[in-house]
Amino acid sequence: MPTTLTFLATCTPPCNTRTWQSTPHPHLPIVATACSDKTVRIYSLQNFQQLSTISGGHKRSIRSCAWKPNSLGESVLATGSFDSSAGIWRRWEGENAAGTGKGQEVDFTAGLSGGNGAQDDEDDDEWRFAVVLDGHDSEIKSLAFAPTAPLLATCSRDKSVWIWEELEDDNFETVAVLQEHEGDVKCVAWHPKEELLASASYDDNIRLWREDVDDWACCALMTGHEGTVWWVEFEDANGIYTLGSQENLNEEQQAYVATRLEAGPRLISCSDDTTIRIWRKASKNKPAASGARMPSIWKNRDFEEEWLEEARLPQVHERPVYNVSWSRKTGRVVSTGSDGKIVVYEERWRKDGAEKNEDVVMAEGTSASESSKSVTEEVNGQDGHRNATEWIVVAEAENAHDVFEVNHVVWAPRADKGKTTDDEEVIISTGDDGEVKIWTLSD
Amino acid sequence: MEADKDNANPTIINPSDLPSRRRSAPTAKRPGIFDALAPAYPSLADAPSPPEALSDVSSDEEREEIDEQEVYDLISTISDPEHPLSLGSLGVVTLDDIKIVRPTSPRSRISTVTVLVTPTTSACSLTTVIGLGVKVRLVNALPPRFRIDVRIKEGTSKTADEVNKQLGDKERVAAAMENRSLVSVVNNMLATCE
Repeated sequence: MPTTLTFLATCTPPCNTRTWQSTPHPHLPIVATACSDKTVRIYSLQNFQQLSTISGGHKRSIRSCAWKPNSLGESVLATGSFDSSAGIWRRWEGENAAGTGKGQEVDFTAGLSGGNGAQDDEDDDEWRFAVVLDGHDSEIKSLAFAPTAPLLATCSRDKSVWIWEELEDDNFETVAVLQEHEGDVKCVAWHPKEELLASASYDDNIRLWREDVDDWACCALMTGHEGTVWWVEFEDANGIYTLGSQENLNEEQQAYVATRLEAGPRLISCSDDTTIRIWRKASKNKPAASGARMPSIWKNRDFEEEWLEEARLPQVHERPVYNVSWSRKTGRVVSTGSDGKIVVYEERWRKDGAEKNEDVVMAEGTSASESSKSVTEEVNGQDGHRNATEWIVVAEAENAHDVFEVNHVVWAPRADKGKTTDDEEVIISTGDDGEVKIWTLSD
Repeated sequence: MEADKDNANPTIINPSDLPSRRRSAPTAKRPGIFDALAPAYPSLADAPSPPEALSDVSSDEEREEIDEQEVYDLISTISDPEHPLSLGSLGVVTLDDIKIVRPTSPRSRISTVTVLVTPTTSACSLTTVIGLGVKVRLVNALPPRFRIDVRIKEGTSKTADEVNKQLGDKERVAAAMENRSLVSVVNNMLATCE
C-alpha cells in the first residue's frame, strides 16, 4: 500500500510572478502567500479562491510572511520585504471567527465583491497596515512570531537577526540585534515551548539564541552543511509520540525514547548542499566528551548547548533544497527545492535493530538506483547511541510546479469539501511559476 | 576613467575566430553533428534569436533542443561593463566553457546550463556584475526548464568562490534585480543583445 502524493488544486487566480512562501493561518482555513509583486495573497483553503490581496506597504518583493499566534478575533500578519522593512497588518475577523476554532464556518468570500450579504462593514474586510518595522540595512529574508512570548524575530542579508518585543499593540521595541553570523541570515524559527530561536545562514551555519541573564546571545552553533542553509524548523513538542505506542519497545528503543525526551524537540535544516539534516540537543551528562569540544571563550557553561547532527534524510534532491516542513500531526517531513520535487519522509523504528547502518535494506517506494543512499545516514552522537530510528521516503512528486523551482512547502489542516477526518492534512507548495498548489497524501 | 579600469588593454579576439554556426568552430572541436541541428540562421548577424522565438521553442519542447552554440550566441553579444566590447570578443565567455546537462531521469524535464566565465584579469572587480549579466540574459532568454549555473572559471579570479556563491543564490539574484543601479548596469550590458 504505497503512499501517494496527489495534486488536489491550484489556488486561483495565481500570481503572475514568483511566489516565495505560503503560511497557513494558525486557526482559520486561510493561507497567506508572499509574492514578488509586492503583495500578499490570501487564499481560502476551503475552495482555494483568492479572498484578498494585501498591497501598498512595501516597495520591493515580499519575501516572507508570518501569522501572529493566539490572536483570536483579529488576524495579525507580519511581512518581510526586500525593501529592508517588515510590516504588521491587521484585520478583524468578526464574531464568527473568534472563539471555538470553528473558523471553517466563516464565509470569507462574502463581502469581497461589494459586500453582498455581508454583515460586516466593508472596512472590516480591509487589511490595515498597522506599523512598519525599520532597522535592517538590507533585504529581510524571513520572520517569525514566538509561540510563547510577544516576540518577533526578523533576519536579513545584513547578517543580523533582530528580536522585537511587542509591548502593546503596534508598539514594537528592539530587544536584541544578533550579529554573529558571517553571511545573510536566511531563516529564523522559534522553539515550540521555549524562548529559543534558531537561525540559518549563507555562512553555512545554524545558530541558536536565547536570553542569558539580560542579553540575548548565541547558545549553540551547528556546523556541517556545505552550502547556504535555507531553512530551519523545530519539530512539535510532542514529536516523539509520532513514532507510535511507547509500549513493547526493546531496550534500544526505550533508551532512544529517553534520549529524545531529555533532548526535547529536534531541529531540521535544509541546504544548498542538497542535504536535509536533523539536529538534536546533546545530553549534558557527558562532561568529559563535551568539555574537549567547547571553546573556552564561552562564558557560561550552563548557558550554552551542544547540538549534534542526529540523522540525514534520504538523499533525493539533486539541487538546492529550499524548504522543509515538519508535520505537527504526523511527524512526517516534506521538502522541496530547485529540482521541482516534493518529497515526503517518515521516521520509523529501525526494523533490523542489530545490523549495521550500511546493511539496512532500502525503503519501499524508492527506485533501485537510490537504494545505496535512500536510508538515513546516521551520525553517532557523543552519547554513543546508534539511532534506533530511520527515515524513509514515503512519497514523491516530480515537476510539482511544471518545470519551475519550488520555493516553499508546508503542512496545513485540510479544510475543503474532500476532508474526511479531523486530522487530515494537505501540503501547500509555492513556486516560481506564481502558483500555490494543494496536495494530499493518501495512505 | 581609463586608468580606473581593471584591465585597460584586454586581449580582443578577431571576430572571424569566434565560434558560430555558419562555419565549423575554429578549434574544429565541433564536428558535423551540429550541421544536422543547424537551424536556418542565414548569417551570424541573425544568430542571437530574440527571447520570444526561444519561448516558442519551449512550448514545443522536445521538438528542438537548445545547444551550446545557441547559448553562446545569447551571451557572447553581451557588452563588457567597462569596455565597449562584447564578452565573446574578450574571451570572457567561450563555447568550450558552456555545458548543457540534459534531464537526469526520464521523468525529469529539467536541463542545466553551466557557463564558466573567465574574467579579463584575475582582479576584475566587475566579475560579479558580468556573471549577473550572463545569468539574467539566460534566465530571460531560455525556457524555464533550464537551470542556469553561472560560475567563475577555476583559477581565474581571486574571489571566485565568493562570486560563485552569490550567483548561485536565487534570493540574492532576485534582490539584485530590484536594485535600480544594478539593473541599469545590467541593462546596459544587455542592450547590445537584441
